[in-house]
Amino acid sequence: MPIASVLFAFLVGAIIVAVTRGNPLSAYAGLICGGFGIACTQGENPALQISNTIVFMIPLITAGVAVALPFRAGLFNIGAEGQLLAGAMACTALGIKLHDWPAVILLPTVLVGGMLAGAFWAGIAGVLKATVGAHEVVTTIMLNYVAQWLLRYLIIGGPLQLAAGTSKSLPIGKGAELATILPNDNSLIIFDLPASVYRVHTGLVIAVIAAAVFAILLWRTSLGYEIRAAGQSQKAARYAGVSVRRTIIVTMLIAGAFSGLAGAVQIAGVDHNLTDKYFSDTTGFDAIAVALLGLGSAVGIVLAALLFGALHSGGSVMQADAGISSSLVLVLQALILFSIAANFLNAIKLRIPGLGQAPSAPAPAGVGAALMTEAASAPPEQAGGT
Amino acid sequence: MGGLSDIFPLLLTSSLWQTTLLLAVLLLLPALGGVISERSGVVNIAMEGMMLTGAFFAVWADLNWHNAWLAALVAVIAGGLMALIHGVVSIRFRADQIVSGIAINIFAAGLTVYLVRTIYGLQDVGHVGQSELLPNWNVPVLSTIPFLGKVLFQQNVIVYVALILLVLVEIVLFRTQLGLRIRAVGEHPQAADTAGLNVYLIRYGAVVTSGLLSGLAGALLAIGVSNTFVPNMTDGRGYIALAAMIFGKWTPRGAFVACLIFGLGEAIYANNSTIHVSQYLLSMLPYLLTLIVLAGVVGRSTPPAADGIPYAPGSE
Repeated sequence: MPIASVLFAFLVGAIIVAVTRGNPLSAYAGLICGGFGIACTQGENPALQISNTIVFMIPLITAGVAVALPFRAGLFNIGAEGQLLAGAMACTALGIKLHDWPAVILLPTVLVGGMLAGAFWAGIAGVLKATVGAHEVVTTIMLNYVAQWLLRYLIIGGPLQLAAGTSKSLPIGKGAELATILPNDNSLIIFDLPASVYRVHTGLVIAVIAAAVFAILLWRTSLGYEIRAAGQSQKAARYAGVSVRRTIIVTMLIAGAFSGLAGAVQIAGVDHNLTDKYFSDTTGFDAIAVALLGLGSAVGIVLAALLFGALHSGGSVMQADAGISSSLVLVLQALILFSIAANFLNAIKLRIPGLGQAPSAPAPAGVGAALMTEAASAPPEQAGGT
Repeated sequence: MGGLSDIFPLLLTSSLWQTTLLLAVLLLLPALGGVISERSGVVNIAMEGMMLTGAFFAVWADLNWHNAWLAALVAVIAGGLMALIHGVVSIRFRADQIVSGIAINIFAAGLTVYLVRTIYGLQDVGHVGQSELLPNWNVPVLSTIPFLGKVLFQQNVIVYVALILLVLVEIVLFRTQLGLRIRAVGEHPQAADTAGLNVYLIRYGAVVTSGLLSGLAGALLAIGVSNTFVPNMTDGRGYIALAAMIFGKWTPRGAFVACLIFGLGEAIYANNSTIHVSQYLLSMLPYLLTLIVLAGVVGRSTPPAADGIPYAPGSE
């Protein structure tokens, strides 16, 4: 089903390109070259393209987990973006203030600081959901924008600004930087390019660990059982002795910690300071597509993150080689979301036996819908009463 | 915060309140759309994308045909078409309405930039001529009233349209049979279906209306307040409209009050550079206020009962 959704999106995307007088084949050739280093025509270096894809993939895995975990509890975390920014801001602030600390202490400090900031950001939504039943979708949207404006304040005229007139922060201390996987050495040549060109960093290990922690937490711990129970039926979970309120808050705290980690790793591993690039960052929203496409499993999330990482990396090559705007990637991403959510193919299949009649049983909606309806229709305190 | 006392003399100027009303209307149109859509039971977080689409097509049409009215019409239709996608996906295919809404917003952001690059290349989109903008209109006689004349009756034509729509939506939703039907479908679609109402048709109508209104707001932004299209020019206004809708407890007049509060905040900054509070911190206020409302500090804000739940005949 996920593969069919992706194919559907590429098909509709090809139509959009063709209608606007572009060549879909050369567009997708550019995407594949830029994403996976295959079939490049303009002399792109395949190893560099793959390296770029992995760099894009790293935050998508961690943020994807931050969306997938609440899904299991019947919560829709569309605030991964705000939590990620909170993590990035905390990481940067700590990395600047404590810049002379040794790496052994500073690096864990900035990463944990980012996780705590993300957890705090998501925790607000979790507490509001558990206590007054405020819908987490709405509260996390609001928190996204609060984070967005806080970021602008911090680096434009605020305490982290590099210098008047700039829209970026001071750099974090050297000790707060995550090492790249290849040595930062210009004389070492790997695949025809100096090793320092490849930006793949050790955050990859952190992201894979995050995905593993997600799987273990969900399937091997009692908290994971409670999360899944609350997601399937709050009522049944309550009978089984699960405190739904507590589960909601803890789930959001953990999810926020994952998003915050994604942001902190991005600062420590790639950018080393906050820039205006983060004003238009969409990792937290891409993560929703990653979680849905990955069907909420750890392996699925890594594969989906690889796909979206490749699309991001491929977009610029497509624009350069085929002259097709890289924003086609956003269009494809939206089409994938539509396709997964609406389950077009399933709906069409169901129609065929009935010779064009609508299915009598409701077609399964998206993963999100199936997991959400319970929570959306019954705020905890209304369904309580034991 | 030493400059806060500067706000008080500012509050006495008519130009501040004139700007406030204009900025409030930019939020009011999508907020009204949100109220209608959600009252019918379809969650709509896609006003941002519909407004952005409207803004692009307004400029595109105006540059092509040099007629602001035609451009506004094209923007309204473009917004409506985006809403129709949301409708088909979430009503016909019973998709998760939040995922669909997110997809609409991403789709609009991608499509508008894609079209800008395809049609206009790497240059700017170009500017709409002064004579081809949606005009301001001073209401005869009334606009000469001291203070209030400038605030209420020296505005862009779309502001008057929006205020009429506000009254209209309030009346239709709460004083007519159509409004009763829309609300019935949003509160209890099974009962409404049993009573012979066409749940799908009413929901489609409500969702598309939200797109038409958001598209009009996009036109006001792009060829009224501004005179060109820049990527992501709505800058969260569709989401502030969503906040206003919740703040106003899913009623048109409540949403309007929220829009005025949010608009005032923006106008204070726009009209004055002597206040030493960062514009970015001020920009957080609508979102923080909405969080406070959601926390129940200012009374509960409860959505329609069937909001967000796709309707399948025979279910439950």
